[in-house]
Amino acid sequence: MLRVNPVTHMPKLSVWKYLLILWMTAVLVAGFLIRVPEIPILYETSRNLFFHVPMWFTMSIVFAAGLVFSIRYLISSRMRFDALAESATLIGILFGLCGLLTGSLWARFTWGTWWTFAEPKMNLSAMALMIYVAYFILRSAFDDPEKRAKVAAVYNVFAATTVPFLLYIVPRQLPSLHPGADGNPAFSDLTAPELRLVFYPAVIGFIGLAVWIIQLRYRYVMLGKRLERHESG
Amino acid sequence: MTMIFSIITLLVASATDTLTSAYSDLWQGVQDPEHGNVIMQAMASQGLIYVVLGVSLIIWFVLIGYLVRLDKKITNLEQKLPE
Repeated sequence: MLRVNPVTHMPKLSVWKYLLILWMTAVLVAGFLIRVPEIPILYETSRNLFFHVPMWFTMSIVFAAGLVFSIRYLISSRMRFDALAESATLIGILFGLCGLLTGSLWARFTWGTWWTFAEPKMNLSAMALMIYVAYFILRSAFDDPEKRAKVAAVYNVFAATTVPFLLYIVPRQLPSLHPGADGNPAFSDLTAPELRLVFYPAVIGFIGLAVWIIQLRYRYVMLGKRLERHESG
Repeated sequence: MTMIFSIITLLVASATDTLTSAYSDLWQGVQDPEHGNVIMQAMASQGLIYVVLGVSLIIWFVLIGYLVRLDKKITNLEQKLPE
């Protein structure tokens, strides 16, 4: 089961992780080297499509996974699903934070401001993140692990249902600077089809990276639980 | 904790560079990207490629920052573990 390097006697990484490293390296290189169309105002920053947008795709997928884990916890009451939901939610926040910060930097040089309250997508995505930060504040309010897991799972079901509205449905109904708003699909402003050649692999790569980090945190949490059991029993 | 403080400092510092009033929701309303101090002008040079670099570095620092934190927590756990 456990594959070990014969020289160092260290366990080997799963094959998909090596593949992911290669994949992400290719995405990064291609993202910087591919020829991008000359778009006024954007210029080279249309490359941010490969880095900023996958943050939100990854966040949405990871939060959706968190929702699934929370529901599975509510069905089975098994603590490992609570640990998975918590880990997924934390890494989702991490990617959302990346999305906000990168978006803010991009906005400074294309819209002329770090932050504007006239932009619904910017503000509503910040709001979605705050709803998820509240998930951890809520968790910290309980000492009993079972009760914490149950309340957190119920809250997560609520939190996850707000995400599609805050990130997709509402911003698309409002006038906005952001591509993808006002009823337009996001790609219409960046119509070069060759951008998709890097964009979709970037989305897959970042989701893979998120899965890896979630797994690391999940293993840490479960190790902590085993240690607690070992100490008490 | 120090990381949070540095993020806040960065935000406060950059706030002085922000437009104070909301402008029209047209792309034509965009301010000249080269407006601002020396750092901002340098960032806006070379067809805005340094903005792409900045975006990549933000992602790198957030993710590696989390891994550093997780590494420390794992070390913490290891020290609690009986020999």
